[in-house]
Amino acid sequence: MFAVETKGLTKLYGKTKALKELDFTVNEGEIMVLLGPNGSGKTTLLLILATVLKPTSGIAKIMGYDVVKQPTRVRQILGIAFQEARGFWRHKPQEILRFHATICGVPKSKREILIEQVMKDLELWDARGKLFMHLSGGQAKRVEVAKLLVQRPRLAIFDEPSSQVDLRGKRVIWDNIRKLRDEGSTIIVATNEVREAEYLADRITILDQGVKVVCDTPQRLKDSIAGGDIVELEIETQNLNEIVEEIRKIDGTFRVTPLDVNHLRAYVSMAEAWVPKVTSLCYRNNVRVVSIRVTEPSLDDVFLHFTGKALEVAPS
Amino acid sequence: MSSVTRIIWFDLKQELNPPVWIIVEWIVFAVQVSVYGALISNLVTSMSDYLKFYAVGLAIMLTFEIGSHTGRHFVEHAHEGRLPYLLSLPIPRWKLFLAIALQGGFELALMLIVPLCALQVIIGNLTLVSVFSAIGTLFWLGFGVSGLMLALSFIAFRSADVYSAIVTALSTLIIRFSTVFYPLIFLPPSYAGVAILSPLTYGSDLVRLILGFDPSILVDPGIAVSVLTALAISTLGLGTLLLQRLVEGVKSG
Repeated sequence: MFAVETKGLTKLYGKTKALKELDFTVNEGEIMVLLGPNGSGKTTLLLILATVLKPTSGIAKIMGYDVVKQPTRVRQILGIAFQEARGFWRHKPQEILRFHATICGVPKSKREILIEQVMKDLELWDARGKLFMHLSGGQAKRVEVAKLLVQRPRLAIFDEPSSQVDLRGKRVIWDNIRKLRDEGSTIIVATNEVREAEYLADRITILDQGVKVVCDTPQRLKDSIAGGDIVELEIETQNLNEIVEEIRKIDGTFRVTPLDVNHLRAYVSMAEAWVPKVTSLCYRNNVRVVSIRVTEPSLDDVFLHFTGKALEVAPS
Repeated sequence: MSSVTRIIWFDLKQELNPPVWIIVEWIVFAVQVSVYGALISNLVTSMSDYLKFYAVGLAIMLTFEIGSHTGRHFVEHAHEGRLPYLLSLPIPRWKLFLAIALQGGFELALMLIVPLCALQVIIGNLTLVSVFSAIGTLFWLGFGVSGLMLALSFIAFRSADVYSAIVTALSTLIIRFSTVFYPLIFLPPSYAGVAILSPLTYGSDLVRLILGFDPSILVDPGIAVSVLTALAISTLGLGTLLLQRLVEGVKSG
Protein backbone atom coordinates (compact mmCIF):
# COMPACT_ATOMS: atom_id res chain seq x y z
CA MET A 1 0.00 0.00 0.00
CA PHE A 2 1.19 3.48 -0.83
CA ALA A 3 1.23 6.17 1.83
CA VAL A 4 -0.31 8.50 -0.74
CA GLU A 5 -1.96 7.56 -4.00
CA THR A 6 -3.88 9.70 -6.47
CA LYS A 7 -5.54 8.56 -9.68
CA GLY A 8 -6.79 10.94 -12.34
CA LEU A 9 -6.86 13.77 -9.79
CA THR A 10 -8.22 16.95 -11.33
CA LYS A 11 -8.95 20.32 -9.77
CA LEU A 12 -10.66 23.17 -11.54
CA TYR A 13 -10.83 26.79 -10.33
CA GLY A 14 -13.50 28.08 -12.66
CA LYS A 15 -12.08 27.39 -16.10
CA THR A 16 -8.49 27.08 -14.87
CA LYS A 17 -7.21 23.53 -14.52
CA ALA A 18 -4.86 23.54 -11.53
CA LEU A 19 -4.38 19.75 -11.64
CA LYS A 20 -4.88 17.61 -14.70
CA GLU A 21 -5.54 13.88 -14.32
CA LEU A 22 -2.70 13.49 -11.83
CA ASP A 23 -1.45 10.00 -10.98
CA PHE A 24 0.94 10.27 -8.06
CA THR A 25 2.26 7.94 -5.37
CA VAL A 26 4.39 8.28 -2.26
CA ASN A 27 5.93 5.28 -0.51
CA GLU A 28 5.78 4.92 3.25
CA GLY A 29 8.82 6.32 5.03
CA GLU A 30 10.21 8.36 2.15
CA ILE A 31 10.63 12.06 1.52
CA MET A 32 8.85 12.93 -1.69
CA VAL A 33 9.69 16.35 -3.05
CA LEU A 34 7.22 18.06 -5.35
CA LEU A 35 9.30 20.33 -7.53
CA GLY A 36 7.76 22.93 -9.74
CA PRO A 37 7.48 26.66 -10.32
CA ASN A 38 4.72 28.83 -8.85
CA GLY A 39 1.35 27.87 -10.30
CA SER A 40 2.38 24.31 -11.13
CA GLY A 41 -0.31 22.83 -8.87
CA LYS A 42 1.87 21.83 -5.89
CA THR A 43 -0.13 23.68 -3.23
CA THR A 44 -3.46 22.62 -4.73
CA LEU A 45 -2.37 18.99 -4.55
CA LEU A 46 -1.26 19.38 -0.92
CA LEU A 47 -4.51 21.11 0.06
CA ILE A 48 -6.53 18.30 -1.51
CA LEU A 49 -4.48 15.69 0.35
CA ALA A 50 -5.02 17.64 3.58
CA THR A 51 -8.81 17.71 2.86
CA VAL A 52 -8.83 21.51 2.85
CA LEU A 53 -9.94 21.48 -0.80
CA LYS A 54 -12.10 18.95 -2.57
CA PRO A 55 -10.97 17.59 -5.92
CA THR A 56 -13.13 18.20 -8.97
CA SER A 57 -12.65 14.59 -10.05
CA GLY A 58 -10.36 11.65 -9.47
CA ILE A 59 -9.31 9.78 -6.35
CA ALA A 60 -6.82 10.61 -3.60
CA LYS A 61 -6.02 8.22 -0.78
CA ILE A 62 -3.86 8.62 2.31
CA MET A 63 -2.78 5.31 3.89
CA GLY A 64 -5.76 3.77 2.12
CA TYR A 65 -8.31 6.34 3.31
CA ASP A 66 -10.19 8.34 0.70
CA VAL A 67 -9.81 12.11 1.22
CA VAL A 68 -13.39 12.79 0.11
CA LYS A 69 -15.17 9.87 1.75
CA GLN A 70 -13.15 9.62 4.99
CA PRO A 71 -11.80 13.15 5.53
CA THR A 72 -11.74 13.07 9.34
CA ARG A 73 -9.81 9.77 9.32
CA VAL A 74 -7.34 11.31 6.86
CA ARG A 75 -6.87 14.37 9.04
CA GLN A 76 -6.07 12.12 12.00
CA ILE A 77 -3.14 10.70 10.04
CA LEU A 78 -1.57 13.77 8.51
CA GLY A 79 -0.37 17.23 9.39
CA ILE A 80 0.35 20.12 7.08
CA ALA A 81 2.66 23.12 7.44
CA PHE A 82 1.23 25.76 5.15
CA GLN A 83 3.15 27.95 2.76
CA GLU A 84 1.96 31.08 4.53
CA ALA A 85 2.29 31.06 8.31
CA ARG A 86 -0.61 33.30 9.25
CA GLY A 87 -3.79 33.47 11.22
CA PHE A 88 -3.09 33.60 14.93
CA TRP A 89 -1.81 37.12 15.22
CA ARG A 90 -2.53 37.65 18.90
CA HIS A 91 -1.22 34.34 20.18
CA LYS A 92 2.28 33.42 21.28
CA PRO A 93 4.25 30.67 19.52
CA GLN A 94 4.15 28.43 22.57
CA GLU A 95 0.37 28.81 22.86
CA ILE A 96 -0.07 28.03 19.16
CA LEU A 97 2.03 24.87 19.45
CA ARG A 98 0.26 23.82 22.64
CA PHE A 99 -3.13 24.25 20.96
CA HIS A 100 -1.99 22.32 17.90
CA ALA A 101 -0.48 19.50 19.93
CA THR A 102 -3.59 19.17 22.08
CA ILE A 103 -6.04 19.15 19.17
CA CYS A 104 -3.85 16.62 17.35
CA GLY A 105 -3.82 14.31 20.34
CA VAL A 106 -0.20 14.56 21.50
CA PRO A 107 -0.23 12.97 24.99
CA LYS A 108 -0.22 15.48 27.81
CA SER A 109 2.80 13.82 29.43
CA LYS A 110 4.96 14.46 26.35
CA ARG A 111 3.47 17.73 25.15
CA GLU A 112 5.43 20.34 27.07
CA ILE A 113 8.77 18.54 26.72
CA LEU A 114 8.25 18.15 22.97
CA ILE A 115 7.24 21.77 22.50
CA GLU A 116 10.26 23.02 24.42
CA GLN A 117 12.60 20.70 22.52
CA VAL A 118 11.26 21.64 19.08
CA MET A 119 11.29 25.36 19.90
CA LYS A 120 14.91 25.07 21.00
CA ASP A 121 15.83 23.02 17.93
CA LEU A 122 14.29 25.62 15.64
CA GLU A 123 15.76 28.53 17.62
CA LEU A 124 12.33 29.79 18.64
CA TRP A 125 12.74 29.44 22.39
CA ASP A 126 13.79 33.04 22.92
CA ALA A 127 10.73 34.21 20.97
CA ARG A 128 8.28 32.07 22.94
CA GLY A 129 6.84 35.07 24.77
CA LYS A 130 6.36 37.26 21.69
CA LEU A 131 3.02 37.65 19.97
CA PHE A 132 2.87 35.94 16.59
CA MET A 133 2.33 39.29 14.87
CA HIS A 134 5.67 40.51 16.24
CA LEU A 135 7.69 37.59 14.85
CA SER A 136 9.87 37.99 11.77
CA GLY A 137 8.84 36.21 8.58
CA GLY A 138 11.46 33.53 9.20
CA GLN A 139 10.36 32.97 12.79
CA ALA A 140 6.70 32.74 11.75
CA LYS A 141 7.66 30.15 9.16
CA ARG A 142 9.53 28.17 11.79
CA VAL A 143 6.44 28.16 14.02
CA GLU A 144 4.54 26.67 11.08
CA VAL A 145 7.16 23.93 10.68
CA ALA A 146 7.32 23.39 14.45
CA LYS A 147 3.64 22.40 14.50
CA LEU A 148 4.44 19.24 12.55
CA LEU A 149 7.61 18.49 14.47
CA VAL A 150 5.54 18.53 17.66
CA GLN A 151 2.63 16.62 16.11
CA ARG A 152 4.83 13.95 14.45
CA PRO A 153 2.08 12.74 12.10
CA ARG A 154 2.32 9.57 10.00
CA LEU A 155 2.20 11.79 6.93
CA ALA A 156 3.79 15.23 7.25
CA ILE A 157 3.22 17.73 4.45
CA PHE A 158 5.47 20.78 4.19
CA ASP A 159 4.65 23.50 1.68
CA GLU A 160 7.86 25.44 0.98
CA PRO A 161 9.13 24.83 4.54
CA SER A 162 12.16 27.09 4.41
CA SER A 163 10.98 30.03 2.33
CA GLN A 164 11.75 33.34 4.09
CA VAL A 165 14.21 31.54 6.38
CA ASP A 166 17.93 32.42 6.42
CA LEU A 167 20.54 29.91 5.18
CA ARG A 168 21.44 28.57 8.61
CA GLY A 169 17.79 28.28 9.55
CA LYS A 170 17.07 26.40 6.33
CA ARG A 171 19.64 23.76 7.23
CA VAL A 172 18.13 23.37 10.71
CA ILE A 173 14.64 22.90 9.22
CA TRP A 174 15.87 20.42 6.62
CA ASP A 175 17.75 18.37 9.21
CA ASN A 176 14.64 18.23 11.38
CA ILE A 177 12.51 17.11 8.43
CA ARG A 178 15.00 14.33 7.71
CA LYS A 179 14.96 13.36 11.38
CA LEU A 180 11.17 13.15 11.24
CA ARG A 181 11.49 10.79 8.25
CA ASP A 182 14.09 8.72 10.11
CA GLU A 183 11.66 8.37 13.02
CA GLY A 184 9.05 6.81 10.73
CA SER A 185 6.99 9.60 9.18
CA THR A 186 6.30 9.80 5.49
CA ILE A 187 7.06 13.29 4.20
CA ILE A 188 5.91 15.37 1.25
CA VAL A 189 7.76 18.63 0.62
CA ALA A 190 6.63 21.08 -2.03
CA THR A 191 9.30 23.49 -3.16
CA ASN A 192 10.65 25.50 -6.04
CA GLU A 193 14.11 25.66 -4.47
CA VAL A 194 16.59 23.33 -6.12
CA ARG A 195 18.88 23.21 -3.09
CA GLU A 196 16.01 22.25 -0.78
CA ALA A 197 15.00 19.46 -3.15
CA GLU A 198 18.62 18.22 -3.48
CA TYR A 199 19.05 18.14 0.30
CA LEU A 200 15.78 16.43 1.19
CA ALA A 201 14.51 14.26 -1.61
CA ASP A 202 14.42 10.50 -1.62
CA ARG A 203 12.33 10.89 -4.75
CA ILE A 204 11.24 13.89 -6.75
CA THR A 205 8.05 14.49 -8.69
CA ILE A 206 8.30 17.33 -11.17
CA LEU A 207 5.02 19.15 -11.68
CA ASP A 208 4.41 21.64 -14.42
CA GLN A 209 1.06 23.29 -15.17
CA GLY A 210 -0.83 20.71 -13.12
CA VAL A 211 0.75 17.74 -14.87
CA LYS A 212 3.25 15.22 -13.51
CA VAL A 213 6.22 15.43 -15.83
CA VAL A 214 8.47 12.81 -14.25
CA CYS A 215 9.09 11.07 -10.92
CA ASP A 216 12.27 9.33 -9.77
CA THR A 217 15.23 9.56 -7.40
CA PRO A 218 17.41 12.67 -7.84
CA GLN A 219 20.31 10.57 -9.10
CA ARG A 220 18.27 8.71 -11.70
CA LEU A 221 16.70 11.96 -12.87
CA LYS A 222 20.15 13.44 -13.37
CA ASP A 223 21.42 10.29 -15.03
CA SER A 224 18.47 10.30 -17.37
CA ILE A 225 19.76 13.44 -19.02
CA ALA A 226 21.77 12.12 -21.94
CA GLY A 227 25.14 13.87 -21.84
CA GLY A 228 24.16 15.74 -18.74
CA ASP A 229 27.39 15.12 -16.79
CA ILE A 230 30.31 17.34 -17.65
CA VAL A 231 33.85 15.99 -17.22
CA GLU A 232 36.82 18.31 -17.58
CA LEU A 233 40.12 16.53 -18.14
CA GLU A 234 43.62 17.92 -17.89
CA ILE A 235 46.05 15.60 -19.66
CA GLU A 236 49.64 15.55 -20.86
CA THR A 237 49.87 14.29 -24.41
CA GLN A 238 51.74 15.02 -27.62
CA ASN A 239 48.71 14.36 -29.76
CA LEU A 240 45.49 15.72 -28.36
CA ASN A 241 43.41 15.08 -31.49
CA GLU A 242 44.23 11.41 -31.49
CA ILE A 243 43.19 10.87 -27.87
CA VAL A 244 40.05 12.96 -28.38
CA GLU A 245 39.02 10.65 -31.20
CA GLU A 246 39.56 7.65 -28.91
CA ILE A 247 37.55 9.26 -26.11
CA ARG A 248 34.65 9.90 -28.48
CA LYS A 249 34.37 6.14 -28.99
CA ILE A 250 33.73 5.46 -25.25
CA ASP A 251 30.14 4.44 -24.48
CA GLY A 252 28.15 7.29 -22.94
CA THR A 253 30.16 10.04 -24.62
CA PHE A 254 28.02 12.66 -26.28
CA ARG A 255 30.46 15.39 -27.16
CA VAL A 256 34.15 16.10 -26.57
CA THR A 257 35.48 19.60 -26.96
CA PRO A 258 39.23 20.38 -26.72
CA LEU A 259 39.73 23.58 -24.74
CA ASP A 260 43.49 23.96 -25.30
CA VAL A 261 46.47 21.64 -25.84
CA ASN A 262 46.07 20.02 -22.40
CA HIS A 263 42.40 20.49 -21.54
CA LEU A 264 39.24 18.98 -22.90
CA ARG A 265 35.61 18.92 -21.88
CA ALA A 266 33.39 15.88 -22.35
CA TYR A 267 29.59 15.73 -22.12
CA VAL A 268 28.72 12.26 -20.94
CA SER A 269 26.02 10.12 -19.39
CA MET A 270 26.68 8.61 -15.97
CA ALA A 271 30.12 10.08 -15.29
CA GLU A 272 30.74 7.59 -12.48
CA ALA A 273 30.90 4.81 -15.07
CA TRP A 274 32.57 6.89 -17.78
CA VAL A 275 35.54 8.22 -15.79
CA PRO A 276 37.17 4.79 -15.12
CA LYS A 277 36.90 4.05 -18.83
CA VAL A 278 38.65 7.25 -19.83
CA THR A 279 41.44 6.77 -17.27
CA SER A 280 42.04 3.21 -18.58
CA LEU A 281 42.13 4.56 -22.11
CA CYS A 282 44.66 7.22 -21.17
CA TYR A 283 46.79 4.64 -19.35
CA ARG A 284 46.79 2.35 -22.36
CA ASN A 285 47.82 5.25 -24.63
CA ASN A 286 50.52 6.54 -22.28
CA VAL A 287 48.63 9.74 -21.67
CA ARG A 288 49.10 11.19 -18.20
CA VAL A 289 45.90 12.38 -16.50
CA VAL A 290 46.72 15.45 -14.42
CA SER A 291 43.24 16.19 -13.14
CA ILE A 292 39.60 15.26 -13.58
CA ARG A 293 36.66 17.42 -12.58
CA VAL A 294 33.13 16.07 -12.78
CA THR A 295 30.11 18.31 -12.72
CA GLU A 296 26.69 16.69 -12.34
CA PRO A 297 23.61 18.36 -13.78
CA SER A 298 21.60 20.25 -11.17
CA LEU A 299 17.92 19.67 -10.61
CA ASP A 300 17.40 22.93 -12.45
CA ASP A 301 19.03 21.26 -15.47
CA VAL A 302 16.75 18.27 -14.89
CA PHE A 303 13.72 20.54 -14.81
CA LEU A 304 14.91 22.33 -17.94
CA HIS A 305 15.49 19.01 -19.67
CA PHE A 306 12.02 17.67 -18.94
CA THR A 307 9.95 20.83 -19.25
CA GLY A 308 11.99 23.06 -21.53
CA LYS A 309 11.85 25.79 -18.87
CA ALA A 310 14.28 26.94 -16.19
CA LEU A 311 13.05 26.48 -12.61
CA GLU A 312 15.17 29.18 -11.06
CA VAL A 313 15.89 32.42 -12.87
CA ALA A 314 19.61 33.03 -13.14
CA PRO A 315 20.72 36.20 -11.32
CA SER A 316 21.32 39.06 -13.73
CA MET B 1 -11.86 19.27 27.26
CA SER B 2 -13.32 18.43 23.85
CA SER B 3 -11.94 19.75 20.58
CA VAL B 4 -14.93 22.11 20.25
CA THR B 5 -14.27 23.62 23.68
CA ARG B 6 -10.57 23.96 22.92
CA ILE B 7 -11.21 25.88 19.69
CA ILE B 8 -13.66 28.19 21.45
CA TRP B 9 -11.37 28.78 24.41
CA PHE B 10 -8.25 29.34 22.28
CA ASP B 11 -9.71 32.53 20.81
CA LEU B 12 -11.98 33.51 23.65
CA LYS B 13 -9.13 33.79 26.16
CA GLN B 14 -7.52 36.38 23.86
CA GLU B 15 -10.71 38.45 24.06
CA LEU B 16 -10.40 38.34 27.83
CA ASN B 17 -6.74 39.30 27.93
CA PRO B 18 -7.47 42.16 28.55
CA PRO B 19 -11.26 42.29 28.01
CA VAL B 20 -11.18 45.73 26.33
CA TRP B 21 -13.93 45.14 23.77
CA ILE B 22 -16.21 43.57 26.32
CA ILE B 23 -15.87 46.53 28.67
CA VAL B 24 -16.38 48.94 25.76
CA GLU B 25 -19.65 47.16 24.94
CA TRP B 26 -20.77 47.56 28.57
CA ILE B 27 -19.99 51.28 28.45
CA VAL B 28 -21.78 51.72 25.11
CA PHE B 29 -24.80 49.95 26.54
CA ALA B 30 -24.82 52.08 29.66
CA VAL B 31 -24.49 55.35 27.74
CA GLN B 32 -27.10 54.38 25.18
CA VAL B 33 -29.66 53.43 27.83
CA SER B 34 -28.95 56.29 30.23
CA VAL B 35 -28.89 59.03 27.59
CA TYR B 36 -30.85 58.02 24.50
CA GLY B 37 -33.12 55.53 26.26
CA ALA B 38 -34.00 57.95 29.05
CA LEU B 39 -34.81 60.77 26.61
CA ILE B 40 -36.87 58.66 24.23
CA SER B 41 -38.71 57.14 27.17
CA ASN B 42 -39.97 60.59 28.12
CA LEU B 43 -41.36 61.06 24.63
CA VAL B 44 -43.22 57.74 24.64
CA THR B 45 -46.50 58.33 26.43
CA SER B 46 -48.63 55.41 25.31
CA MET B 47 -46.52 52.92 27.23
CA SER B 48 -45.47 53.19 30.82
CA ASP B 49 -41.76 52.84 31.58
CA TYR B 50 -40.60 52.49 27.98
CA LEU B 51 -36.97 52.78 29.17
CA LYS B 52 -36.93 49.17 30.39
CA PHE B 53 -38.54 47.95 27.18
CA TYR B 54 -35.95 49.90 25.19
CA ALA B 55 -33.04 48.54 27.26
CA VAL B 56 -34.05 44.95 26.52
CA GLY B 57 -34.43 45.86 22.85
CA LEU B 58 -30.93 47.31 22.85
CA ALA B 59 -29.57 44.06 24.29
CA ILE B 60 -31.30 42.18 21.47
CA MET B 61 -29.89 44.56 18.87
CA LEU B 62 -26.38 44.02 20.27
CA THR B 63 -27.04 40.29 20.13
CA PHE B 64 -27.76 40.56 16.44
CA GLU B 65 -24.74 42.75 15.75
CA ILE B 66 -22.32 40.54 17.66
CA GLY B 67 -23.76 37.46 16.00
CA SER B 68 -23.37 39.08 12.59
CA HIS B 69 -19.68 39.77 13.33
CA THR B 70 -19.17 36.02 13.44
CA GLY B 71 -19.81 35.71 9.72
CA ARG B 72 -17.42 38.55 8.98
CA HIS B 73 -14.73 37.09 11.24
CA PHE B 74 -15.15 33.77 9.49
CA VAL B 75 -14.46 35.32 6.10
CA GLU B 76 -11.54 37.33 7.49
CA HIS B 77 -10.09 34.12 8.89
CA ALA B 78 -10.41 32.52 5.49
CA HIS B 79 -8.48 35.35 3.89
CA GLU B 80 -5.89 35.46 6.70
CA GLY B 81 -5.11 31.78 6.31
CA ARG B 82 -6.54 30.63 9.62
CA LEU B 83 -9.47 28.82 8.03
CA PRO B 84 -7.34 26.41 5.94
CA TYR B 85 -5.45 25.60 9.13
CA LEU B 86 -8.65 24.90 11.07
CA LEU B 87 -9.97 22.83 8.16
CA SER B 88 -6.84 20.66 8.31
CA LEU B 89 -7.27 19.79 11.99
CA PRO B 90 -8.41 16.26 12.89
CA ILE B 91 -11.98 17.15 13.82
CA PRO B 92 -15.22 16.69 11.87
CA ARG B 93 -16.43 19.73 9.92
CA TRP B 94 -19.71 19.99 11.83
CA LYS B 95 -17.78 20.27 15.10
CA LEU B 96 -15.59 23.01 13.63
CA PHE B 97 -18.56 25.09 12.45
CA LEU B 98 -20.34 24.41 15.72
CA ALA B 99 -17.28 25.74 17.57
CA ILE B 100 -17.22 28.90 15.43
CA ALA B 101 -20.93 29.57 15.99
CA LEU B 102 -20.70 28.76 19.71
CA GLN B 103 -17.79 31.15 20.01
CA GLY B 104 -20.09 33.89 18.71
CA GLY B 105 -22.65 32.86 21.32
CA PHE B 106 -20.11 32.95 24.17
CA GLU B 107 -18.68 36.32 23.12
CA LEU B 108 -22.21 37.60 23.16
CA ALA B 109 -22.91 36.18 26.60
CA LEU B 110 -19.74 37.81 27.97
CA MET B 111 -20.62 41.16 26.46
CA LEU B 112 -24.19 41.15 27.70
CA ILE B 113 -24.08 39.50 31.10
CA VAL B 114 -23.19 42.68 33.00
CA PRO B 115 -25.67 44.95 31.14
CA LEU B 116 -28.38 42.33 31.63
CA CYS B 117 -27.69 42.04 35.34
CA ALA B 118 -27.77 45.83 35.64
CA LEU B 119 -31.04 45.85 33.77
CA GLN B 120 -32.51 43.22 36.05
CA VAL B 121 -31.50 45.26 39.08
CA ILE B 122 -33.34 48.26 37.60
CA ILE B 123 -36.38 46.14 36.79
CA GLY B 124 -36.22 44.61 40.26
CA ASN B 125 -36.03 41.02 39.03
CA LEU B 126 -32.43 40.01 39.72
CA THR B 127 -32.44 36.31 40.47
CA LEU B 128 -30.06 33.57 39.38
CA VAL B 129 -32.86 31.92 37.42
CA SER B 130 -33.80 35.09 35.54
CA VAL B 131 -30.15 35.90 34.75
CA PHE B 132 -29.42 32.43 33.40
CA SER B 133 -32.71 32.23 31.52
CA ALA B 134 -32.18 35.60 29.87
CA ILE B 135 -28.56 34.87 29.01
CA GLY B 136 -29.57 31.43 27.75
CA THR B 137 -32.17 32.97 25.46
CA LEU B 138 -29.74 35.57 24.15
CA PHE B 139 -27.08 32.89 23.71
CA TRP B 140 -29.50 30.75 21.71
CA LEU B 141 -30.54 33.76 19.63
CA GLY B 142 -26.90 34.81 19.10
CA PHE B 143 -26.03 31.25 18.14
CA GLY B 144 -28.82 31.29 15.56
CA VAL B 145 -27.76 34.68 14.18
CA SER B 146 -24.16 33.47 14.03
CA GLY B 147 -25.33 30.42 12.08
CA LEU B 148 -27.33 32.68 9.76
CA MET B 149 -24.33 34.91 9.14
CA LEU B 150 -22.07 31.91 8.60
CA ALA B 151 -24.57 30.68 6.03
CA LEU B 152 -24.55 34.10 4.37
CA SER B 153 -20.77 34.44 4.52
CA PHE B 154 -20.44 32.39 1.32
CA ILE B 155 -21.41 35.64 -0.44
CA ALA B 156 -18.38 37.35 1.06
CA PHE B 157 -16.08 34.79 -0.53
CA ARG B 158 -17.26 36.21 -3.85
CA SER B 159 -17.58 39.85 -2.83
CA ALA B 160 -17.04 41.45 0.58
CA ASP B 161 -18.94 44.56 -0.58
CA VAL B 162 -22.05 42.63 -1.55
CA TYR B 163 -21.91 40.77 1.78
CA SER B 164 -21.70 44.05 3.71
CA ALA B 165 -24.62 45.49 1.75
CA ILE B 166 -26.76 42.41 2.33
CA VAL B 167 -25.99 42.21 6.06
CA THR B 168 -26.70 45.93 6.50
CA ALA B 169 -30.00 45.63 4.63
CA LEU B 170 -30.90 42.49 6.54
CA SER B 171 -30.14 44.01 9.93
CA THR B 172 -32.17 47.11 9.00
CA LEU B 173 -35.18 44.97 8.15
CA ILE B 174 -34.84 42.33 10.86
CA ILE B 175 -34.35 44.85 13.66
CA ARG B 176 -36.79 47.55 12.54
CA PHE B 177 -39.55 45.16 11.49
CA SER B 178 -39.61 43.33 14.79
CA THR B 179 -40.64 43.87 18.40
CA VAL B 180 -37.10 44.88 19.41
CA PHE B 181 -38.11 48.50 20.12
CA TYR B 182 -41.92 48.40 20.08
CA PRO B 183 -44.43 45.74 21.20
CA LEU B 184 -46.36 43.77 18.59
CA ILE B 185 -49.78 45.05 19.74
CA PHE B 186 -48.71 48.65 19.04
CA LEU B 187 -47.60 47.90 15.49
CA PRO B 188 -49.87 48.68 12.52
CA PRO B 189 -51.16 45.40 10.98
CA SER B 190 -48.93 45.75 7.92
CA TYR B 191 -45.82 46.10 10.12
CA ALA B 192 -46.98 43.38 12.54
CA GLY B 193 -47.38 40.94 9.66
CA VAL B 194 -43.70 41.39 8.82
CA ALA B 195 -42.55 41.54 12.44
CA ILE B 196 -43.77 38.04 13.21
CA LEU B 197 -41.35 36.81 10.55
CA SER B 198 -38.36 38.34 12.31
CA PRO B 199 -36.47 35.98 14.65
CA LEU B 200 -35.63 38.97 16.84
CA THR B 201 -39.33 39.34 17.70
CA TYR B 202 -39.23 35.96 19.41
CA GLY B 203 -35.85 36.55 21.04
CA SER B 204 -36.77 39.94 22.47
CA ASP B 205 -40.23 38.92 23.66
CA LEU B 206 -38.91 35.77 25.32
CA VAL B 207 -36.26 37.74 27.20
CA ARG B 208 -38.90 40.28 28.26
CA LEU B 209 -41.14 37.50 29.53
CA ILE B 210 -38.26 36.09 31.58
CA LEU B 211 -37.56 39.57 32.97
CA GLY B 212 -41.16 39.94 34.13
CA PHE B 213 -42.77 42.11 31.45
CA ASP B 214 -46.53 41.95 30.93
CA PRO B 215 -47.15 38.75 28.89
CA SER B 216 -50.20 40.28 27.20
CA ILE B 217 -48.00 42.51 25.03
CA LEU B 218 -45.60 39.68 24.08
CA VAL B 219 -45.71 36.78 21.63
CA ASP B 220 -46.52 33.30 22.89
CA PRO B 221 -43.44 31.95 24.74
CA GLY B 222 -43.94 28.40 23.45
CA ILE B 223 -43.84 29.65 19.86
CA ALA B 224 -40.83 31.86 20.70
CA VAL B 225 -38.82 28.93 22.08
CA SER B 226 -39.74 26.80 19.05
CA VAL B 227 -38.79 29.52 16.56
CA LEU B 228 -35.46 30.25 18.26
CA THR B 229 -34.57 26.55 18.43
CA ALA B 230 -35.51 26.02 14.80
CA LEU B 231 -33.50 29.11 13.80
CA ALA B 232 -30.38 27.98 15.64
CA ILE B 233 -30.45 24.43 14.29
CA SER B 234 -31.51 25.21 10.73
CA THR B 235 -29.12 28.12 10.14
CA LEU B 236 -26.18 26.25 11.56
CA GLY B 237 -27.07 23.19 9.48
CA LEU B 238 -27.48 25.32 6.37
CA GLY B 239 -24.26 27.18 7.11
CA THR B 240 -22.32 23.95 7.55
CA LEU B 241 -23.71 22.55 4.31
CA LEU B 242 -23.05 25.68 2.26
CA LEU B 243 -19.60 26.29 3.67
CA GLN B 244 -18.52 22.71 3.31
CA ARG B 245 -19.36 22.92 -0.37
CA LEU B 246 -17.92 26.37 -0.79
CA VAL B 247 -14.83 26.50 1.39
CA GLU B 248 -13.50 23.20 0.14
CA GLY B 249 -14.33 24.10 -3.43
CA VAL B 250 -12.36 27.31 -3.77
CA LYS B 251 -8.74 28.20 -3.36
CA SER B 252 -8.31 29.88 0.00
CA GLY B 253 -5.59 31.01 2.30
